[in-house]
Amino acid sequence: MDTLDRTYHFILSWWAERGDAPHFTDVAGALAVTPEEGRQRLHEVIATGLPNLLFPGTDLIASFAPFHGLPTPYRVSVDGRSGWYAQCGFEAVAISFVFPRRTTIVDGSCLDCGDPLRITMRDGVIELEEPRGVVGYVDVPFREWRSNLPFA
Amino acid sequence: MNLFRSEEHARRWSGFNAEHAAGLLTLAQLAGIMSTALMRERLNGHYVSSAAGYRREFLDRVREVTGADPFWNPAAR
Repeated sequence: MDTLDRTYHFILSWWAERGDAPHFTDVAGALAVTPEEGRQRLHEVIATGLPNLLFPGTDLIASFAPFHGLPTPYRVSVDGRSGWYAQCGFEAVAISFVFPRRTTIVDGSCLDCGDPLRITMRDGVIELEEPRGVVGYVDVPFREWRSNLPFA
Repeated sequence: MNLFRSEEHARRWSGFNAEHAAGLLTLAQLAGIMSTALMRERLNGHYVSSAAGYRREFLDRVREVTGADPFWNPAAR
């Protein structure tokens, strides 16, 4: 596993296990490097172009797909434990892959009427959709996602 | 990407843009797009090294699910 792989894996595993983002000092501790090296490793992972973001002008992770550090309409619970938010509607249906063999529930609200939505998944398979007929909508054309990631 | 209880609700949402109606997808279509190795393999331990190799399958799946609609054309990504 190379350095980028190790850093990425640590951040994502931490978030899946704990429900929040690690700080770069946590990255440093996990990789047995100095805090400054941990900070650099974090920035190197962000620079890969994967859908992961820092809060602008900081070293703090805002979002790391499929998770988001701020409340989104997509609250996630796993085997009855809550505390995660999916990055967006797209990632809401992919999030069960980071909780293998566990029942993953996404609770959201329809942005039009506010009615509750619930999607129950396991290993990427949708087991229950409440109500039936849920749809997703994105206003940003696919080719523009990279430059408009928060709106994609 | 935002979720709505039905297509009717999405279309009457204040943020809906009729010119981008191709951005509407059913939950099954979403799940189809988001179940390739690009999402499935995130915890495999060599994800960053492998992600570029997963991209082709993802783009093929987007094209398949969306019927190659121009809205979903990945050019310039």
